[in-house]
Amino acid sequence: MRVSGGHVEGVDCTSEEGVGIRVAVPGRGFGFAATREVTKTGLELALARAAAIARALPLAARRPPLPPIPPACGHWASTCEIDPFELTLDERLELLLAAEALLHGDPRIVRGVAESLAIRTVVALASSDGAALTQERTECGGAITAYAAADDELQKRSYPNGHGGSVALAGHEHLLALELAANAPRVAEEALELLSAPPCPTGRTTLVLGDEQLALQVHESIGHALELDRILLGEASYAGTSWVSPSDIGTLRYGSQLLAISADATLPGGLGSFGWDDEGVAAQRTMLIEDGVLRATLSDRQSAAAIGVASSGAARADGFARQPIVRMTNISIEPGEAGTLEQLIADVREGVYMETNRSWSIDDRRLHFQFGTEIGREIRDGRLGRLLRNPTYAGITPQFWGSLDAIASAPAWRLWGLLNCGKGEPGQFAHVSHGAAPARFRDVEVGVLR
Amino acid sequence: MNDDGELELAQRALAHLDADEAQATVTRERSLASRFARSAPTQATAIDDTVVELLCVLDGHTGAASTNQLHDEGIAAAARSARAAAAAAARSGGGTYPGLPDPAPTRPHQGYDRATAELDAGDAGAALGAAFAACAAADLEAFGIWTAGEVRTAIASSAGVALTDAVTDAHMKVIARDAHGRSGYAATTAVATASIDPSALAAAAAARVSGGEPLELEVGEYRVVLDHAAVGTLLEFLGSLAFNGLAHAEQRGALCGQIGRRVAAPCVNLADSPRAPATLPRSFDAEGVPKRPLPLIQDGVAHAVVHDSRSAALAATSSTGHALAPGGAPDGPEPTNLVLAGGGAATLEELCAPIERGLFVTRLWYVNTVEPRHALLTGMTRDGTFLIEHGEITRPLRDVRFTDSALRILAATEELTAAQRLVSDADFYGRRFASGVLCPALRAEGFRVSGGSA
Repeated sequence: MRVSGGHVEGVDCTSEEGVGIRVAVPGRGFGFAATREVTKTGLELALARAAAIARALPLAARRPPLPPIPPACGHWASTCEIDPFELTLDERLELLLAAEALLHGDPRIVRGVAESLAIRTVVALASSDGAALTQERTECGGAITAYAAADDELQKRSYPNGHGGSVALAGHEHLLALELAANAPRVAEEALELLSAPPCPTGRTTLVLGDEQLALQVHESIGHALELDRILLGEASYAGTSWVSPSDIGTLRYGSQLLAISADATLPGGLGSFGWDDEGVAAQRTMLIEDGVLRATLSDRQSAAAIGVASSGAARADGFARQPIVRMTNISIEPGEAGTLEQLIADVREGVYMETNRSWSIDDRRLHFQFGTEIGREIRDGRLGRLLRNPTYAGITPQFWGSLDAIASAPAWRLWGLLNCGKGEPGQFAHVSHGAAPARFRDVEVGVLR
Repeated sequence: MNDDGELELAQRALAHLDADEAQATVTRERSLASRFARSAPTQATAIDDTVVELLCVLDGHTGAASTNQLHDEGIAAAARSARAAAAAAARSGGGTYPGLPDPAPTRPHQGYDRATAELDAGDAGAALGAAFAACAAADLEAFGIWTAGEVRTAIASSAGVALTDAVTDAHMKVIARDAHGRSGYAATTAVATASIDPSALAAAAAARVSGGEPLELEVGEYRVVLDHAAVGTLLEFLGSLAFNGLAHAEQRGALCGQIGRRVAAPCVNLADSPRAPATLPRSFDAEGVPKRPLPLIQDGVAHAVVHDSRSAALAATSSTGHALAPGGAPDGPEPTNLVLAGGGAATLEELCAPIERGLFVTRLWYVNTVEPRHALLTGMTRDGTFLIEHGEITRPLRDVRFTDSALRILAATEELTAAQRLVSDADFYGRRFASGVLCPALRAEGFRVSGGSA
C-alpha cells in the first residue's frame, strides 16, 4: 500500500498459486515447467513438458551427477508476532497517512510517499531425493520518501532506505519499530537542506559509510562475486561472471584483515532465512571470508558438484514459475571493535560520510563499482560537518576492501533487507538481507560525477 | 483459451466487483526459454499462467487485487480484496483517480505470429545447436538465451471497455567468449521466431571478439560510436526519466521546463510508435486506452511526455495510452515502443570514419541513474569495446565506466545509421511484457569516460 500527497495512491493485493517441476536431463541441463493448474493432470502435463523441452536441446558434455543429499522433511516457519493479515487495512493505512502527512509543509516538497508491504509465502517441496517439506515465510516492511525540487535541482531523502524501505522476515511489529512518523520531519528537512547543500568534493579521501550503504556494497561487490554459478560462467549471458576463480578459495586476499563475511540462512529476521533452500538443502551458516581471505562461495547442488564440494544451501527460486538458481541468503559483514559511528569519525581528520544508497553500478565481473548516496556529510577534525549533495564514490573491489580500516562494534550492526536482487532468465527477484555496521575506508575516490 | 475465452473470463470477473466503476484484466502467458552457457544447455523454462487483475474505483480511489485462481471462489475472493482496498482508501478522503477511460476504437497490428505461438521446443534446440556450431567454428564458446512467448490480454470495464489483444515475441542473445574472457554480443528481438537467424547471430557475436590484448583507456571525453544495443539502453532509461508524465507533472522529470525547447541535436527524432514495423506492437494500454503514435522529440525539440489517466488528470490533459497497470502504475506511465529515427550513415564504418581517436561501444551494462533531473547515468561497457583511430576500429579496449547524461549524448549526436534494430533485454521479471527500443547506432561527441576496468 502506498500513500502520497495525503491520499491513498493504491492498495494492491496479490494472491497466486502454482507448481513448478524441475527435471535434470543428463547432458541437456535442467528442464522446468510451471503451471497454475494444481491438479494431478496439471502436474503430469508440467512434468512431461519439463522433460520434453530439455530433451529437445542439443546434447552436450555431461556434468557431474548431483550428489545425494539427506532427505529433507518437516515444516519451518518464520516468526511473526503481529500477523499483518489479521490487521484491518484501515489500521495499516493510518500509520502511513500519519507519516506521509509529516513530510509536507514546504512547497518545495513536490512528492511525499509512505509505503508498506506484507508478504506471506507458503512453499511445499518434494523431490526424488526424498524431500517432503513445507515452509511459511512472512515478510513485512515499509518506508517514507520525500522529493524536494527547486530550480534545476531534485533531491530525494528516504527512511530507512530508498529501495522500498526496511523489510524483514517478521510481522507487523517490524513496521511499527521503524517509527516512520517520528522520522518524517527529519527526512523532509534533509531533503530541503540538500537542495542548497554544496556538492560532494572530488578527490581521494577517507570515506565512512553508514550501515545501509555498506550493506549494498557487500551485496554488489562480495555477495554476487561469490555466487559459484557466476564463477563457473553459468550466468555469463546475463548477470555476468566474477573476478574470483574456484582456485582462489582458501588463498585469495579479498580485503583487509578486518574483513569477515558470513552467509547465514539461519539468521532471525533475515529475508535470506529459511529451513531449507529450494533444492531441499538445510539452511546453514558459512564463513565466506575470514581475516580478509576467501574461504567459501555460495552454491547450489550443481555448481558445488562441479568443484567437488557440498552445496552451501543457496538455491532459491522466485515463486513457482522460476527454477532455483544460486542466490544470496543473508550475507553480512561481521561487526568490528571500533565502537560507535562517532568513534569511527573521531579518528578522521578530513573525509566524507555517506549514507542511504541512491544509485549503484558495477561491472559484470563485480570488480569496478560506482555508488551514489542520498546524503553526505563533510568530516573535519573528527566531527561531522555540513551536508553534501550528490555524493558518489568509486573503487575496485579488492583495493576497496583492502582499504577497510575500522568497523563499528556489534551494537551498531543492523540487518538490511533487499527485495530487488535481480538475476536469471526469465528474471528473478530474490529477497536477501545483509548485516552491516558503519565502517571506515582510507584513500577512496569520491565525487566521481563532477 | 482463445480471444473470446479471455474476454469471457474478464467479463465474468467484472461481474464479481461490487462497485460503480471497475475493471477486470486477464493476461495469459505461455512462454519457453532455453539458456545456455559454455556451448551447453543449462536451464529450459516453460511457463503457462493466467492472471486476473481486478480494479475497483471508489470516490477517486483505486483498490486492486490479482489472482491466478480462476474458479469462481478465487475470483470472488480477489474481488472482495479489491473492493475492501478501495473502500479503505476512500475512508481517507477524496481521491485523485479521475475515473476509468471510456471505450475507444483500437486498431489491429502485426504483432502476432501463429507459428511462434506454438512454442516449439525443437525451434529452441535447433537455434542452440546452430549457435554452438558457429561459435565452435571460431574457437569460441556460446552463452545466451533463446526465448519465445505468447501473451493474450483482455480488458472489460464498467465504462464499457471490452478489448482483446494477442502478441508474440521472440528473442535470442548470443555472447561469444574466448578462453581469455574476451567476449562479443549480438541479439535479435522480433515478433516471430522465424526472424531469428542463430548462425548469423553467433557469427556476429564472434566477430566482436578480438584476439588482441585490450588497451586501457584513460578517463576523459571521447567521440564515440554507440552501437544499436547501447543506444537502446540509453533511450530506455530516458523513457522513464524524461517522458514519465507523473514525474514531469511533479517537477521530477528530466524535461521539466524543456517542452518546446531544443534538448537534442536536430537529427534526433524520437517517438513512441506502437505500430511501427519491427517493434513489438500493442493495441491498448493497461487501462484499455488505444495505442497511437506520439512524437516525443522532433528535430531535437522536446515535444511531449506520456500519460496514463492519473498523470493526465494531474497535468490537466488526456491519457496518451501509456498506463503500465490497471489504474496506472504507482511510479507513473512510460513509453514502451520508443523509436529513434535513422539517419544518413549506411554503415557503422561510416559512423567511425570521422573519428580521429575515440571509442566504439557494443553495449552497456548495469546502467543506473545518478541524477534523474539531468538524466545523468552511469554504467559499464561490455562485450565488445574498441578503440577508433584515424577513422577505423583498430584495437580492443578494456571495458570502461561512463558517467554521462542521456540527454547530453542526444544533444551531442552528430550522425545516425539509417538501419534501425529492435533492442530488448527480454529479461522478463514478473509477468512477461515484451518491449524494446527500435533505434539506429549513433556517433556523438564528448562521451564521458569516468573510469576503467582491469
